[in-house]
Amino acid sequence: MRRSPIRALVIPGALVLLVVLVALAAPILPLADPVRQDVANRLAGPSAAHWLGQDEYGRDVLSRIIWGARVSLTVAALAAALAAVVGTLLGILGGYFRGLVELVTVRVAEIVLCFPPLLLALLVVTLLGPGAGTLVFSLAILFAPGFARVAYAETLSARALDYVTAQQALGARTRRILFLTLLPNIAPPLIVQFSLTVAAAMVLESGLSFLGLGVVPPSPSWGLMIRGARASMEQAPLLLFWPCLALTGTVLLLNLLCDRLRDALDPRGKAAGRPGFLGRLVALPPAPEPRQAPGLLTVDGLTLSVPGPQGPIEVVRDVGFTLAPGETLAIVGESGSGKTLTGLAVMGLLPAAVKPVAGSILFTARDGRVRDLLRLPEAEMRALRGRDLAMIFQDPSSSLNPLLRIGSQLAETLRAHGVRDGVRDRVVGLLRQVGLPDPERAADAYPHEISGGQRQRVMIAAAIANGPRLLLADEPTTALDVTVQAQILALLAELKCAEGGMGMAFVTHNLAVVGEIADRVLVMYAGEVVEEGPVADVFAAPRHPYTAALIASMPEGDAERLTAIPGAVPQPWAMPAGCRFAPRCTLAADACRATAPALSEVAPGRSSRCLRWEEVA
Amino acid sequence: MLAFAARRLLVSLGLVWVVASLVFLVIHLIPGDPAELLLSQGGIAPDPAAVEELRERLGLNEPLWAQYLTYMGGLLRGDFGLSLQDEHPIAEEIALRLPRTLELVGMAGLLAVIFGVPLGIAAAMRAGGALDRILSAWAGFALSVPVFVVGTLAVLVLAQQLKLVSAGGYVPLARDPGRHLALLMMPAATIAVGLGAVVFRVMRSSVLEVLEREHVRAAQARGLAPAAIIRRHVLRNALTPVVTVVALHLGSLLGGTVLVEFVFNWPGLSGYLVRAVEARDYPEVLGIVLVISTLFVLLNFLVDLLYAVIDPRVRHG
Repeated sequence: MRRSPIRALVIPGALVLLVVLVALAAPILPLADPVRQDVANRLAGPSAAHWLGQDEYGRDVLSRIIWGARVSLTVAALAAALAAVVGTLLGILGGYFRGLVELVTVRVAEIVLCFPPLLLALLVVTLLGPGAGTLVFSLAILFAPGFARVAYAETLSARALDYVTAQQALGARTRRILFLTLLPNIAPPLIVQFSLTVAAAMVLESGLSFLGLGVVPPSPSWGLMIRGARASMEQAPLLLFWPCLALTGTVLLLNLLCDRLRDALDPRGKAAGRPGFLGRLVALPPAPEPRQAPGLLTVDGLTLSVPGPQGPIEVVRDVGFTLAPGETLAIVGESGSGKTLTGLAVMGLLPAAVKPVAGSILFTARDGRVRDLLRLPEAEMRALRGRDLAMIFQDPSSSLNPLLRIGSQLAETLRAHGVRDGVRDRVVGLLRQVGLPDPERAADAYPHEISGGQRQRVMIAAAIANGPRLLLADEPTTALDVTVQAQILALLAELKCAEGGMGMAFVTHNLAVVGEIADRVLVMYAGEVVEEGPVADVFAAPRHPYTAALIASMPEGDAERLTAIPGAVPQPWAMPAGCRFAPRCTLAADACRATAPALSEVAPGRSSRCLRWEEVA
Repeated sequence: MLAFAARRLLVSLGLVWVVASLVFLVIHLIPGDPAELLLSQGGIAPDPAAVEELRERLGLNEPLWAQYLTYMGGLLRGDFGLSLQDEHPIAEEIALRLPRTLELVGMAGLLAVIFGVPLGIAAAMRAGGALDRILSAWAGFALSVPVFVVGTLAVLVLAQQLKLVSAGGYVPLARDPGRHLALLMMPAATIAVGLGAVVFRVMRSSVLEVLEREHVRAAQARGLAPAAIIRRHVLRNALTPVVTVVALHLGSLLGGTVLVEFVFNWPGLSGYLVRAVEARDYPEVLGIVLVISTLFVLLNFLVDLLYAVIDPRVRHG
């Protein structure tokens, strides 16, 4: 279990507070005068009176470090505060009013960002002469655009939100909206920016002081101390060490605080952990392989879970189906029904968070061997992927690598499975087979140079490149125009006829598509199979109220008007005790709410998970 | 591609002109008499005769448009004016020192990329693992140490205590290439500590982000081996933010090597700038700022070209 982000703030927060308190308390601490010289004892080592020794003028090092913290922190905090006020104001005004105001506030501020920061600071110092006042001023100029940018971006996204629009509609005064409504809502990123700026300002301040262009001696400053100690580093190396330690330590603490602050204020920014792709992190332990399995693919008792706050949550439960060679099975359901996860489980491509808990996925490959895909080692699984098993994804524009030519992405698919000769000809042939006009040119094109429908044809070409036994299509037409959808469906049907014996599992939420392409249909609801059977039979006489409701909500249906199913799919962590569809079901009785119905055969080749299936009209 | 490059070059040249004009205007935008401002020390009013002389030398008595034309004409001939301190031509001094700074920045960038990119990839591949934790903690530390602290401590430990290297200085490449390189490595490595940490962080998060993309899963579904997926479908896609960040930092380093040049006695452009600032030699400061800003614009032009090489979509944009 990770520490909570708030608790992770405590240690760096307390340490930063300690540094600030010590710096503030410098006048009341029993310290030697930081500027009193004692040339007789110059470069003296640590003693009872001077714990960290004396510097090149015999001044007390500890005292100078603590007083130096005061100077450095004051300059940095003042500069950051000034930058925050000015920058935030510019950013909010620019983001809220847009247009001309945006030009003279945000865009002008961004000009400053074009200059190297140190260069700009030096330019200001040239004009105004060195000193703490100049320092605060020039640092504020440097850092204000950063605040302006953050405030601008946050304002842009916040001004479109309902509560701002509502206030505008109510006629609230602009000033009131800006400072009482908008500002508190964009404060978190600004707080992060502030702590970041304090650290950056300290680094710049000490750098300028180190060059002799910042804090004016004899005022103590960490940068000046390092500058002074450099001259005598051969005799007294420790003199160099203390201010370096103080400066680096403080900056490190501030940066740490800033990181933790960001995590606490914006939990989304935190990566969810390991990437799930480097081999399967999750496969069930191996078991003896069965010799015989019915059909091409037999999924049995598949259960998948994700970790939840109160233990694992089953997102797919006890799913089973069989797919014969040459058959097309449609898997249908709303978002969250588990249909896509089921498809990914077959491919062994589940996201890292989703773990198979039980069940088996028996697949008969081209070599006639039956393998349990849930228990197959990754290397063997990889050999099947793209050869015996292929998958087409929903969005063709994000499924192709935008930086590689189409032909090269098809060629790598062939080469990954041992094709060495005539790759280019095969690639062009595949592109011709999926109906791309001018396949030669398409092979040399980049994905952004062809249309969405053509990209999906390319994805299909990649899927059939090595003559798969099973093609999984996960909503392959959802992201496409209606006319293109029909073409892609026709292409898939045509390919299936050409590739004798290829089975296809077609995941969709669109029943109209099912009628066109599938032989059998599997209806899923809330992670469970609720009905299965031949498409024509199921459409003619559904045996589950959910299927009936889905058919009634089809736009092309015979119903007078569209009936949407009331309610929503229950969240996986709040499943009803009895039938999962009961809360939305018009037929639900007390028995339905009490016990979860089992999947039972209602006719040869048809099953339903409903107690009252006989009453479904 | 060529048309793209030509278009970008034209925009860059326009930007250089804008920057040059801005630099010219800076002195006139400040309230008060610039000559008086430059000569005043600690609030004491300067001698009127000296102010008048400086005005004459800077050409401030002529009308603004005439000053602008003289200035722009000078720039086109590569004439940046004369130093206020010793009447030395500024362009000559810049031409002498600029290559040294470029060399330093280039080497620092090279070192940062050589270490930052592979380590960033390695950490991303095993995100959350021991190597990732160690490297990420180191990067957080390296980013917090100011560059002059790294440099000063490096001189203290490596040169003074262990006597492994000399504390700094400069030998022309033509005189002794080996020694030239040895002297270059210390300041370059000093800059590369922080810069490498930046590159590491950006590379790591960029790879992690690309790994989550659809096309990586699609490549996996086609049966590609992990090594091939990383090489063909992750690295190049992850490179764009790294190029952006490296370019941005190299750009700000052009004027920001001040501290490192100071620590290692490297006679580059930055040291010249500091001297000019200290002496309030206005023409010198303007000349250096102009050169650095122009390089900055040029660098951005090169970055745009690099984007186009990496991503075919940019070429048509």
